[in-house]
Amino acid sequence: MKGINLDLPSKSRTDVLIENGATEAALPFPERFPKAFLQSVFREDRFFLILSVFIGVFSGLAVVCFRFAIDWCRIYLLGSGATLSPMRLLLAPTLAGLVIGVLVIHVFPLARGSGVNQTKAALYIYNGYIPIRTAIGKFITAALAIGSGHSLGPEDPSLQIGACLASALGRRMRLSRDRMRLIAPVGAAAGLAAAFNAPISAVLFVIEEVIGRWTAGILGSVVLSAVSSVVVMRWFLGSESLFRIPAVQLERPSELIAYSILGIVGGFASVAFSSGIAALRPRFKAMPQWTQYFQPALAGLLIGVMAVLGAPQVMGAGYEYMDEAMHGQFTWQFLAILAGLKIVATLLSFVSGTPGGMFAPTLFIGAMLGAAVGGAEHIFLPHLSGSPGTYALVGMGVLFAGFLRAPMTSVFMVLEVSGNYSIIVPVIVANTFAYVISRGLQPMAIFDVLTRQDGLDLPSMEEQREEGILRVEDAMRPAGTAVLDEKDVIDHVVQGLDAKSPGVLLVRLNPTGWSTVTRKELETIVKEGKGGLTLGSVVARPEIPYLHPDHPLETALRYVDRWPLVPVVSRADFRKLEGVVSQEDVLERYRDFGEV
Amino acid sequence: MAADRNWLDLRRYLAREPVILALLSIAAVILFLAVTGLSRAYHAQRESLGNRWFSRGVADLNARHYDSAITEFRAALLYSRDSYAYQLNLAEALLGLKRTSEASAYLLNLWDREPENGLVNLELARIAAQRGQNEQALRYYHNAIYATWPGDQTVERRDTRVELIEYLLKINATAQAQSELIALEANLGDDPTQQLRVGDLFLQARDYQNALAAYRLSLKGDRHSQAAMAGAGSAAFDLGLYPEAQRYLQEAVAAAPGDAQSSDRLKTTELVLRMDPFRRQISSAQRDRTVIGAFDAAGERIKSCALPKGAVTPPAWEQDLAGRWAKMKPEMTERGLRRNPDLVEDAMDLVFSIERQTSATCGAPTGPDLALLLIAKLHEGN
Repeated sequence: MKGINLDLPSKSRTDVLIENGATEAALPFPERFPKAFLQSVFREDRFFLILSVFIGVFSGLAVVCFRFAIDWCRIYLLGSGATLSPMRLLLAPTLAGLVIGVLVIHVFPLARGSGVNQTKAALYIYNGYIPIRTAIGKFITAALAIGSGHSLGPEDPSLQIGACLASALGRRMRLSRDRMRLIAPVGAAAGLAAAFNAPISAVLFVIEEVIGRWTAGILGSVVLSAVSSVVVMRWFLGSESLFRIPAVQLERPSELIAYSILGIVGGFASVAFSSGIAALRPRFKAMPQWTQYFQPALAGLLIGVMAVLGAPQVMGAGYEYMDEAMHGQFTWQFLAILAGLKIVATLLSFVSGTPGGMFAPTLFIGAMLGAAVGGAEHIFLPHLSGSPGTYALVGMGVLFAGFLRAPMTSVFMVLEVSGNYSIIVPVIVANTFAYVISRGLQPMAIFDVLTRQDGLDLPSMEEQREEGILRVEDAMRPAGTAVLDEKDVIDHVVQGLDAKSPGVLLVRLNPTGWSTVTRKELETIVKEGKGGLTLGSVVARPEIPYLHPDHPLETALRYVDRWPLVPVVSRADFRKLEGVVSQEDVLERYRDFGEV
Repeated sequence: MAADRNWLDLRRYLAREPVILALLSIAAVILFLAVTGLSRAYHAQRESLGNRWFSRGVADLNARHYDSAITEFRAALLYSRDSYAYQLNLAEALLGLKRTSEASAYLLNLWDREPENGLVNLELARIAAQRGQNEQALRYYHNAIYATWPGDQTVERRDTRVELIEYLLKINATAQAQSELIALEANLGDDPTQQLRVGDLFLQARDYQNALAAYRLSLKGDRHSQAAMAGAGSAAFDLGLYPEAQRYLQEAVAAAPGDAQSSDRLKTTELVLRMDPFRRQISSAQRDRTVIGAFDAAGERIKSCALPKGAVTPPAWEQDLAGRWAKMKPEMTERGLRRNPDLVEDAMDLVFSIERQTSATCGAPTGPDLALLLIAKLHEGN
């Protein structure tokens, strides 16, 4: 550090050389070294990458503590055994719900909900600002909720905690506004990766659900933070996955039909789940203020009743039961009941405003549904080679694709969790069915629904998939006679012009460039008696830029106000003109598009 | 001037960024240490809870309270999901309640982790055997025989092989059982109890020669073993070594008069020895009397042979044998036999034919008929 913080003399040899007209790049290495080297090392974008690693480390540590907190809450509130006493099953979620109600109303109002939308809002509305209080609130209330048995998961809160830490760090660093906007997703990826022990899925989920668009600019930071947080998490909690992965096999392609059925069932279940949340959440929110104190408690009580009546599996995140379902330890009928009860339990917990995530419940429902469908199919088609565990794994992806509408994440998540590539085809097939059904029956994804219910409008991947993209080829027109060659003699060109000829002409330069010349300029040259010159000797240089037909139309906007005519050339042959585009063409296309 | 300003900016920047990185690193280290402390407490608590539930589970498993044991092992697994011991014990408790599919899920998981574990292979073999999946059962049994075992490996492997042999005998894979028995015997040593066990298995596998050898070895170590004497008597009996069988069986019955099987066999053996006219060192008169006794017994046997269901007249073979018997009967006197010594052979041929035919169609022979049948077998080919 001391070596970097140099107290150099006011005018070094380098400065003298620069003042005497030498460019910095031309300086000999020893003179160039400190400044160029240090500048290159401490450029803000590189510093941001280093910061991403620290964000990952801090988020990882926070998520590890969050996991400890959840487990401790569970042990002290519900008990340490596998079979819990009915009194505790009823009292723990109810009383914890009361405490949570008070906390989220008076102390941590921003801790409500899953945390994904809040992180997204920070990115798009609040310039990356998330108060650190939100992280503290989320940590306490979500740990209490999940540990006491509310049907919610730790992943989304971890995502928000990571984003909060990143935001706080960014503010301390006084990062630029652009960087601040990007920092929340970096923290979000770190938090989610540590919570789910799956860095690839976390990165994809953050891109699909938080950032809402593909952007290469932030990818490096997101990946770095996710990986470093997973390393930290594994350091403390070990590298074992959340559930033991069963052997996966697909012997006959015809078995894909069985997985398609799972996809269809999962699609309808996703719609039921998301419709329930979309319909009930505003109703619960619209209830009188005093009821808000009791909503989490009531949800907790009802979940406790379910547990006492024989389904304690619906409490908490439920990873241990997913593990059991994957290893064939429940009958298919009971698995189907569990899937239904979990939907109800999660609905209750979520719409009551209890802080906690939907990632784990979605996986739980998917696993139970998958294993149930697989089990039922095995009765009718005993030759199927897929074990209930395989169906449970595929089911997880199905619900992810259908309910959260994160198709990419859904495939990679199953792949990353199972570590088995042979599952990819069943997952893609089943997910496609679920996604198509879900999207057909409920056009808006659940996170977008929640955002709209909160009075916000944030971009989403789904929206991007819906929207059409205008390209240069949509606005370009044929060049016709407006193309000349630089070897053409100006007199001949002018003689060839008639009343219909355009005012601006395109000139092809050798070997590959393009330029323009106006009809008026040519006529002036002829009048000056220089008509014997070739076009190449008079056209303006440097060359004008060119476009390709597949460029987005907005790219053309950068050029058409500076050049009256922009050539559109083939990517395979830059001398082959596909068409031309002018400002008028572009605007007209946009006008037409708006009218449509 | 511009260069100066840039340099100043850079120096300010450098003064800040390295400090920030240093502070971040220090913060990371401090937090890491703090979380390490928390983590130790967390893991210690989980380990203690896991062990507590596991100990209760083991106690319940030993007391055959499988339901409670399952709950307790499941609770233990909450704190150490991948613990080999917890999973193995849970699987055993599940097997105790015959919940084989659940147990098999755990065992397969354990097998994936440690395919060389003897106990896991043995349990999987038992499950496969229970399900009638013979091929898999044999594979797991063989894995278990060559696997690693905690404690005395030799004993565990030997017991596993014995179990495999019993399974092979159960599924009538006698040839495979015999080869496993030979492998077992090779590694057995001189322990009389083990030799006795092997003798029993050889006997079940109908390898009487090896069975007798094993019993003899057993008796070498323990001369007074009633079971070994009974076994040796039985093996000798099945080998047709009736004098030896008589000796062993007499001792066995003397040691345990309640041993009904040995007692029956002894009676049959004594009958065989008494009714065999071809035995050595008997006088002609005695031989003739024996032949006449055998002839009369065979006659009684064919007379008492019931008609097959639905039949009105006896079958042709019976009529033929009865005819031959009746024709020969007048000559079957001591005098007649003395006058015509060849009649002994003819009479005994007829006796053996009658006993063979009737044993196949008139029910299992007993007493003298059984003895005659055994004598017939003894002299087959002579």
